[in-house]
Amino acid sequence: MNNIFDRIKYGTETIKDPLYNNEFSYGKIVASENICNNCRACMSVCTVGAITINTGDNDENTVSIDNKKCIYCRNCVDICPKSVLEMTSDYKMSELELVGEKLREKIYKIYKRSLVLRVVDTGSCNACMSELSALHNTFYDISRYGINVVPSPRHADGLVVAGVVTKNMKEALEKTYYAMAEPKIVIAVGSCAFNGGIFKDGDGVYDVLKNILPVDLVIPGCPPSPQAILFGLFKLMDKI
Amino acid sequence: MKIEDTINSLKELNFDLKYEVKNNNELYVRIKAEQIRKIALICIDVFKFNYICEFTTERENSEGEKPTIEGKESIVNCMFSNSKQGYYVIWSYITQKKPISLQNLISQSRLFQREINNDFDYKVKEVSGTDAYQIAVGPVHAGIIEPGHFRFSVMGEPIENLEIRLMYKHRGIEKLCEDINANLLNLMFERVSGESTVAYGEAYALLVEKLLNKEVGKEIKALRIVLLELERMYNYMDDLGGIANDVGYSYVAKKFGYFSEVIHQLCERVTGSRFMRNGIVPFGINIDFNEKKKKDIIDTLQSLKARVNSIIKMSLNAVSFLDRVEDTGIVSSAMAKKFCMTGVVARASNLKYDVRVKFPYELYKEIKKDINIETKGGVFERYKLKACELKDAFNFVEKALTYINKDIKRDKQEICLSEGLEAIVSVETVKGELVVYGLTGKDNKFSRIFFKTPSFTNWTGMTEAVLGEIVPDFPLINKSFNMSYSENDR
Repeated sequence: MNNIFDRIKYGTETIKDPLYNNEFSYGKIVASENICNNCRACMSVCTVGAITINTGDNDENTVSIDNKKCIYCRNCVDICPKSVLEMTSDYKMSELELVGEKLREKIYKIYKRSLVLRVVDTGSCNACMSELSALHNTFYDISRYGINVVPSPRHADGLVVAGVVTKNMKEALEKTYYAMAEPKIVIAVGSCAFNGGIFKDGDGVYDVLKNILPVDLVIPGCPPSPQAILFGLFKLMDKI
Repeated sequence: MKIEDTINSLKELNFDLKYEVKNNNELYVRIKAEQIRKIALICIDVFKFNYICEFTTERENSEGEKPTIEGKESIVNCMFSNSKQGYYVIWSYITQKKPISLQNLISQSRLFQREINNDFDYKVKEVSGTDAYQIAVGPVHAGIIEPGHFRFSVMGEPIENLEIRLMYKHRGIEKLCEDINANLLNLMFERVSGESTVAYGEAYALLVEKLLNKEVGKEIKALRIVLLELERMYNYMDDLGGIANDVGYSYVAKKFGYFSEVIHQLCERVTGSRFMRNGIVPFGINIDFNEKKKKDIIDTLQSLKARVNSIIKMSLNAVSFLDRVEDTGIVSSAMAKKFCMTGVVARASNLKYDVRVKFPYELYKEIKKDINIETKGGVFERYKLKACELKDAFNFVEKALTYINKDIKRDKQEICLSEGLEAIVSVETVKGELVVYGLTGKDNKFSRIFFKTPSFTNWTGMTEAVLGEIVPDFPLINKSFNMSYSENDR
């Protein structure tokens, strides 16, 4: 009875369009051109080595940042003496890998509406897991788009992997992958999953995911917000 | 018993010790290997110290002692704390072989010594008899959970024994910390456990501030408390929602999930990250804080407070909910003490220990006065205590915000560490007591970082809690503990 009163009083709490423009979110770091004086201060504070500076023909320095490596700590933005770098609120950074593009066509010829996922954590810091479970709260409510997480790999179309692959989890990851039916998708959530991120050189780490399984979709971020994950999954499902 | 009294009473025992007091509340004592068992016994039985951890450090070989591997000697440190007076005691001895076993004196010593010895062989227990069988779960679980292996030995319905095998996520974070410049190390600390990001960042800030003997201003201290308590809020909301979800009370579960989302979004508005990453840095804070943000926090929490209370009340009035949680998963006070449990799960078992009161950091001395405890130690007590801590968190944020009356500018200062300094700090994370030991090395880096994470000892408590319960109650008990796999495995 109390539930019903509470429900009537506060109404629905689900957002209609989860991919709204979130001005507070962290996002892609962009570099403005022709200002950088190659002082390399940004490279010294980057723990993951995501920044490269290329010097062109007429002494122009272009700074490029690898979205898939970046852990979005903003240290480079803060330290740059000429404010070349700027953090935008554009969280829509997910990219389909080349294999993913083909696979998507193959899968969505047959299944048009839903995406059934299996989540494996291979060594994340559990922030990615927390964000994945936040997708199921009433605010984002991911199941209305037909995206579900299932307990068995046999039922799944896609494997979501969070974190670097540790020595101890490598076997479990591979077994889960091979238990899935073809055609299958592999989704890397978070920067550590695809590229190793901050844990890359740890002595318990086996390798990064891209060297073990063919990755079809990368959702960068540390951790990627639920919006960023949703954007990536929508891209995979051809909803955008 | 003050730190001087400990020294004096040890002198009376004629132990011939070399001791040193550092950072006001840390007593480092060098002893001989054969003395450790006697001293551990005195610490527990006579001094009533709390056992914290054991870990090794390496040191350049000094003269007159036998060289070990690669010209370095390995020192085993055994840490105790006196929670009444608020100081730590570290007994360290040099050993050529394995550390000396304290198993029959301190039960949890086994966990740390296994880690020191790299002794990871394990044989799963077997059961036999009528109706006896085993259930193996994991490491890949159903749902969105981290990896870990659980082996239930069941007789009919009740669980007879539970073995928890973790370390699937071992990445070697402690070793990684030694390669990172001290100015960037807070990033690695924050990624030990994502759920307790702020608490780990705070631990790093406290560690560096203690090493260099500096203090930050009152406004910054208050802002740090705001961040710490916001983190506590969303974690406990998730926990309460999780317990309700495992009982099958989905309305309450979903509402708590929504509240936690609201707090996450508030954190994003205040700090730019949903987990408040790179917020707390040594000697300052890495976010701009102004009147607008302060108002945002007050308004959001004000609108949420009454609703949270009504939902908690709703769950406590539901018979179907109470039927599942009451008298489930009980850990007695004696067992909690034996397993060195900390945090909410220990306080639910009538252990009056909270780092925020016993080792106060930042402004907790003024804000937090007493410790919430429950006596019985079951799922219901943990649920009530988490609800209580959640309500407290609302009050602490309000109180802390009254200290902030001016705008705070982001301020990140360079850290310059000299070699050979050591310090211990402890922080109350959402899971319990986190103790960090740091020893500085060359080139502005640390040469040893040791984490005694709360989950490391608390996981053992769960093997006790499930005994005699039925298997379907296990998820419920697990969620009421809600320990982190990531910080346990490191």
